[in-house]
Amino acid sequence: MTHTQKRVLLNNIIMTLSTISAIIGIGFLFWILGILVINGVDALSWNIFTQEGAPPGYEDGGLKHALIGQLMIVGVATFFGVPFGILAGTYLSEYGQKSKLAETIRDVSDIMMSAPSIVIGAFVYAIVVVPMGHFSGWAGSIALTIIMLPIILRTTDDMLQLVPSTLREAAFALGAPKYKVITQVVYRGAKAGIFTGILLGIARVAGETAPLLFTSFNDNFLNTDMMEPMASLTVTMYNYATSPYEDWQRLGWAAAFILSMFILTLNILGRIFIMKKREK
Amino acid sequence: MATIVNIKEEKALVVKDFEFTYASADTPSIKKLDMPVAKNSITALIGPSGCGKTTLLRSFNRMHDLYPGNRYDGKILFKEKNILGPKIDLINLRIQIGMIFQKPTAFPMSIFDNVAYGMKLQGIKNKTELYDRVEKALRDAAIWKEVKDRLKHDANGLSGGQQQRLCIARAIAVEPEVLLFDEPTSALDPISTAGIEELIIELRERVSIVIVTHNMQQAARVSDYTGFMYLGELIELGRTEELFVTPKEKLTEEYITGKFG
Repeated sequence: MTHTQKRVLLNNIIMTLSTISAIIGIGFLFWILGILVINGVDALSWNIFTQEGAPPGYEDGGLKHALIGQLMIVGVATFFGVPFGILAGTYLSEYGQKSKLAETIRDVSDIMMSAPSIVIGAFVYAIVVVPMGHFSGWAGSIALTIIMLPIILRTTDDMLQLVPSTLREAAFALGAPKYKVITQVVYRGAKAGIFTGILLGIARVAGETAPLLFTSFNDNFLNTDMMEPMASLTVTMYNYATSPYEDWQRLGWAAAFILSMFILTLNILGRIFIMKKREK
Repeated sequence: MATIVNIKEEKALVVKDFEFTYASADTPSIKKLDMPVAKNSITALIGPSGCGKTTLLRSFNRMHDLYPGNRYDGKILFKEKNILGPKIDLINLRIQIGMIFQKPTAFPMSIFDNVAYGMKLQGIKNKTELYDRVEKALRDAAIWKEVKDRLKHDANGLSGGQQQRLCIARAIAVEPEVLLFDEPTSALDPISTAGIEELIIELRERVSIVIVTHNMQQAARVSDYTGFMYLGELIELGRTEELFVTPKEKLTEEYITGKFG
């Protein structure tokens, strides 16, 4: 075998191996999506959106309680997490910059980003659920806020730092005070990036189950009082899917399908925003 | 000692015994510099990279204050006041001494909002006044005809040369007394460059201009006075036609004849 033949053969082997690996990886993704769609769509019906949970055996059970609970828990988490995260990211990029405090916050938030979410659930259980004496929607929102915070904080920090410093200087050179430079010029320049960060942050927490098991727990009926235990799609899905009743299992598939579509949409939207930004 | 020509005009800025030290440096980047800037004329600063010309320019509107730890010594007089003094209001100073940067710095907003930005900062809210002054600034910056039908469009859709003229319009809209140009054409093509140079010459009637340039032909074409800087010192300041034809200092002659730099 000549040297060239050897090289071509080696190239083909490596290319085949990496292609097969890629196909297997993508294959699993489509397998999951396929099963979800088949079972999920099959289980979808109007009842899902209009009916609350029902005891096993009743035909007209739905997911209304879990959908509303999910929206409330994630919505409240977003309401607190987004402004808090953006302000903290603004501090890092515009005020703290390379200072020790800012660098420490960056390191800590990077660690928090990879912290197991169940640990955060246990933490909120200890500081909120135990003193209150019972599970609550608030506790769930607090846990999700903590998980969301480092994601939004770091994307905001990164996106603001991408805004060229000459743009800031130009605004200062016109006599703008610092807070106006940040809010009127720098934020505008980083708008798409920050928005993407928010979407990805929401997408991340919307799929969390473990921290909610410790905090908002569950409720098989509609409850809109954040002080009380609350249903969420993820915990409901966990309960229904692991139950022995076939109609509950079907609802579990529906919950999985709705949740996946929601998160998939957020991720796709986030990507579209990033791409739009690159085109400019 | 530097050779400094006697300036007959009134002076827009007077630099006295000025030193500047960057936060990260032990020794000053500008050393014991004295220099007058004539009113309603164009003063060009030339010199090799790292000679301190941009550093000096950015001292005139205290841009260095944006980064912690930088130090000014000596005096820069503007309207008989030392702008390096502690009681100077930087916002007020920067309204009176505007700046155009090397790369165009169009804000991520519409063309109209870009030009109106400085005026809005000063609290001008009246819509007709804003519109009139935006139009006038755009006309003065010779870009009105190109943008008048798309004032609401994103400024980032303009070409580099158009953006730079937009930035000039934005700067002159607030009617500053001094305009600082930091290599304003180094990112532009020759045709845009010619347009900007023409504009700078026209602006001289209304504002005093200091322009930093790497391009000696540009200094010769546009300026009334030229200062040659080297290693943080002003070597020579003279009327442009004299400095380029009959330089007094040997270093200046070597630089303009291309022996170093």
